[in-house]
Amino acid sequence: MLSLYGTRGLMNARSSILKPGLLRGIKTIPQPPGNIIGTVNDAYVPPPPKKFDGSLHWTSERIVAIGLVPLVVTPFLTGASTAVDSTLSGLLLYHCYVGFQSCIIDYIPERVYGKYFNYAMYLLLFGSGVSAYGLYVIENKEGGLTKVISKVWKA
Amino acid sequence: MLSRVGLRAAKPISAPLLNTSRLAFARQVSTVKSSHDQEQDILVAQRKNRPTSPHLTIYQPELTWLLSGLHRITGVFMAFGFYGITVTYAATSLLNIPFDSSYLVAAAAGLPLAVKVAAKAIMAFPFAFHSFNGVRHIVWDFGKELTIKGVYRTGYIVLGLSALAGTYLTFF
Repeated sequence: MLSLYGTRGLMNARSSILKPGLLRGIKTIPQPPGNIIGTVNDAYVPPPPKKFDGSLHWTSERIVAIGLVPLVVTPFLTGASTAVDSTLSGLLLYHCYVGFQSCIIDYIPERVYGKYFNYAMYLLLFGSGVSAYGLYVIENKEGGLTKVISKVWKA
Repeated sequence: MLSRVGLRAAKPISAPLLNTSRLAFARQVSTVKSSHDQEQDILVAQRKNRPTSPHLTIYQPELTWLLSGLHRITGVFMAFGFYGITVTYAATSLLNIPFDSSYLVAAAAGLPLAVKVAAKAIMAFPFAFHSFNGVRHIVWDFGKELTIKGVYRTGYIVLGLSALAGTYLTFF
């Protein structure tokens, strides 16, 4: 049934209708037919190794996720001291940062978007830096993110 | 894959079995000599005819991938909230704009009760779901409950707990 539609035409029609105005100006890299570059006889070229990608990245994500469990529960039971709150906020920031990174990798892939992938990553890094400073302000001025949320929640 | 064109012509055909229509068909196909570059062009042309993989709408909605998608959606939603709050504090501090939690409290307190409850629900349910489903993911990362049965069992537990905790937090 799918083949009746001629998927190529369907995808083209879709992308031109559904693409938001902002994205229409962004040129994507045309993909080779069948997503195969070169001939079938070319040897596989593995991507260059990156120190912070792969298993190290995965492990740090898990450690943070496991660490977040007690830190999220504590404020509900006893309220959060500044130490608990800063740790929670810091880990949350990393958790959000890593999550957004995964989304950029999935939805703005370098293969298709080229330099825009890098721009998105830089923007995320910049935003996370600003966010980290914001956390410092919150800890100083309000005594913690959980206190802010709790106040607004009960308002 | 390239020899497809020549297969039938190369097949030995026994004359007595041959009827006229088969003969006509057999005569229409013949081998074509092509250079390496031409073969490459044919290969690329064939690749262009391959179907692209269908999007999510082709699949039957199942608890497995629905909760997975929901996990990301709730996570991104709350992460935007987190960045929103922290960046607001950073920007107002850097630009010397007066801002602290009392402004947020005043804004929230002025809202009608229905809006308050709705706003709390919009934050409480994603928080509850993402937290419980996060624990479910950690359980999976230790290699537990990684069966279809386990995925459904933990999925329903997460949905139940999220409904309870989300409701509690909404009216908390």
